[in-house]
Amino acid sequence: MADNLHHKPNGSHMTFNQITRRTFLASAAALPALAQAPPKKIAIISTIFRLQSHAQHIGDRFIVGYPFAGEWHQPNTQVISLYVDQKPAGDLSEARAKEFGFKVYSTVAEAVCCGGPKLAVDAVLIIGEHGEYPRNEKGQILYPRFEFFQQVAKVFESSGRSVPVYNDKHLSYSFEKAKTMRDTARRLKFPMLAGSSLPVTWRLPDLELPLGCQIEDALMVGAGGSDAMDFHALEALQCMMERRKGGERGVKSVQLIQGDAVWQAGEQGRWSKELLRSALSRSDNLKGATVTDGRTQDMVGTGVLPGLVKDPWAYFIEYRDGTKATMLMLSDAVNDFNIAVKLKGKPEIQATQFFLSPDPNVTYSACLASKIERMIETGVAPYPVERTLLVSGMLESCLDSRVKGNTRIETPHLEVAYQAPRESQYCRI
Amino acid sequence: MSGNRPKLAGITTVYRKYSHTQHIIDRYLEGYGWNGTHHHPEMDLIALYVDQVGQDDLSRDRAARFPAMKIYPTIAEALTCGTGKLAVDGVVVVGEHGDYPKTPKGQVQYPRYRFFEEIVAVFRSSGRSVPMFNDKHLSWNWEWAKKMYDTSKEMGFAYMAGSSLAVTWRIPSVEFPSGAQVREALCICYGGVDSYDFHGLETLQCMVERRKGGETGVKWLQAYRGDKFWEACRANVWPRELMNAALCRSHTLTPARAGFNDIFPSLDDMQRLAKNPVAYRYEHADGLKCTMMLMDGLVRDFNFAAQLQGEPKPFSTQMYLPMPDGRTTMANFFSPLSYNMEKMFLTGKPTYPIERTLLTTGLTAAGVDSLYSGQTRVETPHLAIRYQAPAQSTFWRT
Repeated sequence: MADNLHHKPNGSHMTFNQITRRTFLASAAALPALAQAPPKKIAIISTIFRLQSHAQHIGDRFIVGYPFAGEWHQPNTQVISLYVDQKPAGDLSEARAKEFGFKVYSTVAEAVCCGGPKLAVDAVLIIGEHGEYPRNEKGQILYPRFEFFQQVAKVFESSGRSVPVYNDKHLSYSFEKAKTMRDTARRLKFPMLAGSSLPVTWRLPDLELPLGCQIEDALMVGAGGSDAMDFHALEALQCMMERRKGGERGVKSVQLIQGDAVWQAGEQGRWSKELLRSALSRSDNLKGATVTDGRTQDMVGTGVLPGLVKDPWAYFIEYRDGTKATMLMLSDAVNDFNIAVKLKGKPEIQATQFFLSPDPNVTYSACLASKIERMIETGVAPYPVERTLLVSGMLESCLDSRVKGNTRIETPHLEVAYQAPRESQYCRI
Repeated sequence: MSGNRPKLAGITTVYRKYSHTQHIIDRYLEGYGWNGTHHHPEMDLIALYVDQVGQDDLSRDRAARFPAMKIYPTIAEALTCGTGKLAVDGVVVVGEHGDYPKTPKGQVQYPRYRFFEEIVAVFRSSGRSVPMFNDKHLSWNWEWAKKMYDTSKEMGFAYMAGSSLAVTWRIPSVEFPSGAQVREALCICYGGVDSYDFHGLETLQCMVERRKGGETGVKWLQAYRGDKFWEACRANVWPRELMNAALCRSHTLTPARAGFNDIFPSLDDMQRLAKNPVAYRYEHADGLKCTMMLMDGLVRDFNFAAQLQGEPKPFSTQMYLPMPDGRTTMANFFSPLSYNMEKMFLTGKPTYPIERTLLTTGLTAAGVDSLYSGQTRVETPHLAIRYQAPAQSTFWRT
């Protein structure tokens, strides 16, 4: 039986019966009530599909299954169509389609209609990460997620029917466009899930902030300096911040500063050295002397950071309820994502690492796949798309701050309110 | 430095980048991330002995940067700080890495026993013993290991040993249910014989020792390698279901096919990827059967699975080693190991029993013996080692 848990290695695609049988065997424990339903048909709308691209490693979870809760879980899904915007060297789209019995279509609309006149799938995955796209003056890569989404929504409207949509990473580089996407999902009444794997991956240690906690200060430290990586870190920060008392009510202002001003801000107490020390204490990837001779380091205590980090970035987020959070991108000092939070009434700082497991398995994307699967199965997004909407806007405004001379920017448009899910959503099984 | 702070001596083989000595002794000197801050142990490592000083040695750099730590040319001088009498309150023995000859069976003859004997000679001549930690297994030689254990009992000093695997993060962060009934347990990991096999055995043992009735010892062990491994695997000598569960905890599963990043391998795939696998299968006195598998080429992490009575699916987790070089820059699994040692040095009580490592030391040697004697079954009446698991969990979760 165990050998049935893998796809056929000879290149022939799985039959419907094989999928159903495997699904039942593999997911009987995880989704007992749903396992016997016919598989949900999925369209993947992507920029590129090559090894280690997001479309490949997330999309394949719905094709060959994924490790989850100690078993190889085969979702009760069937990828039946794929759109790829670009076919670079190493493109796998046609090979995958041939092997698993689906088709690569030349337009987004054709993909979600499977070549027919109207919507022909039960869910859409928009995975617009990787590929060759221009950058704007803020340094953002202009991935066409909004354009993909619009074409999908147009088919929903013309078909008089909508299905769940997952959008990988931020909704768009533009808050305006991101908001249109969220508003469209609301208007057409379809569940929408979006964002990064960081909020849902394992945490070291297994730490959740109590819902309704009072956050005195928070600091995220990571490596980045690009809108691609900094989105992940900002969303990880936000998935903790949104659990504070009163729920999320949006962001009042942001500022992104760089260079020596970052250290000066630390000296002036604008960000907490104690929180940075705590966040760095969770890192498995310190740089500098650690790389040279393996030593552990108290980088804050030794004062080594200003000499080590050539281009530090500090993101300051001021929420509408007065709560403040800082994100430090210290790429020359650290190479993972760690948060430290001071809660009111708790003397000890709460700190954890958002665990990014290694290439090529990137098992953290299996954690994300399980959330997408749950939305597809239940029709309810396990956490609100407003989180990703807000973070999309925070990131854009931070980059605006940067191009405007690192000034503070008021963000009245980021009055995005939502409640954190009651149930923790990160992986602990 | 306060007068109440314990003073420690480090007795080591080599001190180079990413050696066990560097990972452990550096944590005493530099501190380390613990409980959400940079923790400095409340003790001072004041004496160091390094058996081999090579081109890549770091001990001189460390002594220069931490002048409170002095390097001594002999173990006795390190323990006495040159006074002729035991002058420390605890001893950290790190006898891993370095250039040592191998036995005909392929075991590296790390001088842990010699270190131990020289240390207890000082204890004896001083009329006083202090707690000791021994990194990894006690010795490659079972007779010596048993003597080390017996000596520690006779002299009555606190003695701890073992691997980081027993105390590191688990993903997910779960503990083996205390008092659970278990028929089969399995670990899939990687690495070499008389090396990482010990880590795999400690991975298993730190879990199954919590079963109903406690540890009862091991009756026999049979090793399988290469073709015999695959024959046994296909004959279901060990449960395939547990293999699958353990592999589904891995974060480093070699993709079985080009073009895929994470795909479950068939048995044929496994056989193609894991070129020369090794399994140690052994039976405890109470009937529990365990299988430790080194599957180089298939995984590069440590994954545990067990079939618990009354549970519909296997219990499984990964013991997470953030391993440099490449995946991380810091071997932070040494942090919980250091922390457990510190607790012993502060309280005089081991946080987990030395009998665990005595047993895994004996299992490692039995595995080597079985492989060396043509993969025959080895009876292990000498491993009738009984002990109770600590009431408190000691793995890293804060």
